[in-house]
Amino acid sequence: MNLQKVISGFFFILAMTLNFGFFYGDMDNVELHSSYELFAALVISLIATALKIGDKTQIGSVLLASSLVADIQLIAAVLVWTVVEYTSTFTPSHMATIISLSGGAFLANLTSVILYIGETLKSKR
Amino acid sequence: MSDNALWIILQRLRKPIIVIIVTYAISILGMVLIDGMDDQGNVYHLTFFDAFYFISYTASTIGFGETPYTFTYEQRLWVLICIYLTVIGWFYGIGALVSIISDKTLKSELMKSQFRKRVKMLKSDFIIILGYNHVHSQVIRKLVNVGLNVVLIDNSEENIHGFLLEDFSKSVPVMVGNALLTETLEDAGIHQTNCKAIVAHFFEEEKNLRIAILTKFLNPNVTMITKATWKDTINSLLDTDIAKVENPFEIFAKRIDIALTSPHILILENWIYKNADLADEASFLPQGKYIICGYGRLGKAIQEKFDKHGIEYVIIDEHLMGTREMIENKTFIRANADDKEILLQAGIERAVGLVAGTQNDIDNISILLTAKKLNPNIYVIARENTMKEVSIFEATKSDWLFIIERILINKTALQLAHPLKHAFLKKTLYQDEAWGRALVNFLKSQLGDNPKLMKLSIDEESAYALYHEIERGELVNIDVLLRSLEDWNNNHKAIALLLKRNGKEVLLPQNEVLQLNDEILFACDEESAEEIELIASNMYELHYVCSGKEKQNWLLGKLFRG
Repeated sequence: MNLQKVISGFFFILAMTLNFGFFYGDMDNVELHSSYELFAALVISLIATALKIGDKTQIGSVLLASSLVADIQLIAAVLVWTVVEYTSTFTPSHMATIISLSGGAFLANLTSVILYIGETLKSKR
Repeated sequence: MSDNALWIILQRLRKPIIVIIVTYAISILGMVLIDGMDDQGNVYHLTFFDAFYFISYTASTIGFGETPYTFTYEQRLWVLICIYLTVIGWFYGIGALVSIISDKTLKSELMKSQFRKRVKMLKSDFIIILGYNHVHSQVIRKLVNVGLNVVLIDNSEENIHGFLLEDFSKSVPVMVGNALLTETLEDAGIHQTNCKAIVAHFFEEEKNLRIAILTKFLNPNVTMITKATWKDTINSLLDTDIAKVENPFEIFAKRIDIALTSPHILILENWIYKNADLADEASFLPQGKYIICGYGRLGKAIQEKFDKHGIEYVIIDEHLMGTREMIENKTFIRANADDKEILLQAGIERAVGLVAGTQNDIDNISILLTAKKLNPNIYVIARENTMKEVSIFEATKSDWLFIIERILINKTALQLAHPLKHAFLKKTLYQDEAWGRALVNFLKSQLGDNPKLMKLSIDEESAYALYHEIERGELVNIDVLLRSLEDWNNNHKAIALLLKRNGKEVLLPQNEVLQLNDEILFACDEESAEEIELIASNMYELHYVCSGKEKQNWLLGKLFRG
């Protein structure tokens, strides 16, 4: 067992699950989506990105790319939330935008987890 | 991946980035969770945005104060923790970044990638130089002066820094690297078709051989110019088919050989190297007994030449042994040559010449001084290995000074920068005295003491008119280029020294019909150099010297006729 693998796997999967947790629920219902969960999803996603940096292999670059996509989507979601909260009134359609952005991030995270699992399975050690 | 530098930075930054993210996340979460109190005394919670805003300016030590409301003591307690946590996180990150920037591996990677880029961007022919030493410093200067591209690699960072201080270093891509590795040679662009030559003069000759072999397999079209003095190495180098070997001792001995029989050839050589002009007086080496100090590679090479001419000699060496025959014939003395008694024993008083040719420069100076004292009329030939002590050697007034490094510099630079001159020189060295005297006198009478050397290639760029004339199938004789533009029946002041065609060379060509891609070397003065260029590139001038008539411009011709 490789401790480094455990740690990076932990973060990759945690980023996906948190993302899913935030995403899950009615699109336009603010009550069903916790801002804490979005915060956690973003932070873990950023950490996962940092862990993927500097891997020179082919699969490493795809992992990094998918992680960057997730980050950008989540940051966009956070920005939308913040801007709407402070500059206009919060409507269900705004919430729908935030959730769909996080849904995109979830797909990116899913891709990266699948790639990660595939790479792990292929590894002989 | 080609860009290693970026990856090094990213890999090293991984940890600091994670540290900063985690400290921020903990601080922000704490700020959001802890109860606050607004100005009306109601409990409220900071939003994520408020918390991020607050932590951002706190962590970067800007400190705008407590927003949106004054903090409670619980909040301040947490802020205290946040400050230490985040500020330390930042310091750690910045410290890591600074240490990466000043990192040696990163620096050398940056240098390498810059070097590769510059080498790839070279459009015209270039030459790879391995190792930066005194010889190469001078060679690079000469090559850069004639506009050739040079690429330099040296093992030591110190040498490279020394090179970067030179005024001509701007145009030369440099890299620290081990020249004995394939990878380094590839970085230097050995695979590129415009890489013409590779130069290595390592003192350890097996290194030169190794590079020659690597080069042969990497790109057999590249010429290798190198130095070798041991027979085995020379043969192995020649076997690679791409190496041009310079043996300074053989060059040295060959000059003595020539000076014994045909000094005018040496005058021509000095003129080609621009060391002297043709007015120098040609003098034979004195005939009589010689003393050779040093029986190493140089001593043996000179011995061979003296044997060939049947000149009497005595060899003195302390370390290397002569053959039994030599000792019996009393032509070898095993002793330190820098000893009065030994020199007297060798018969210095009635000797006409002495060669101070040991490996040690100071020994050579000392021998030279002693010899002059014992026999003030003796002709002294001195060997100097490095150019560090040039001024001292010059002050000792030896009659003939051979500087091994200068031989290498001149030879290498001439081969690379002026291949045609080099070809002419090589041919010249095998001519006899009568030929040499005739040529020197002819040149002097026609062109003065210091004629200019000029090269003309029959290609579209440098000889437009001539090129198209020959392409059309006209027969143009080489003499056409020498006719005067004022009167085609006369010649201007120039002499064709060499014609090079398909790798074959014709010395002093006359009545040769020119072909495409011929290369011709002329001796001429300033004025006739211009005339040659005009004839070669201007179709009107060419027409005049070919036929003696002005070429008619078809439009003007029509107008006048009409």
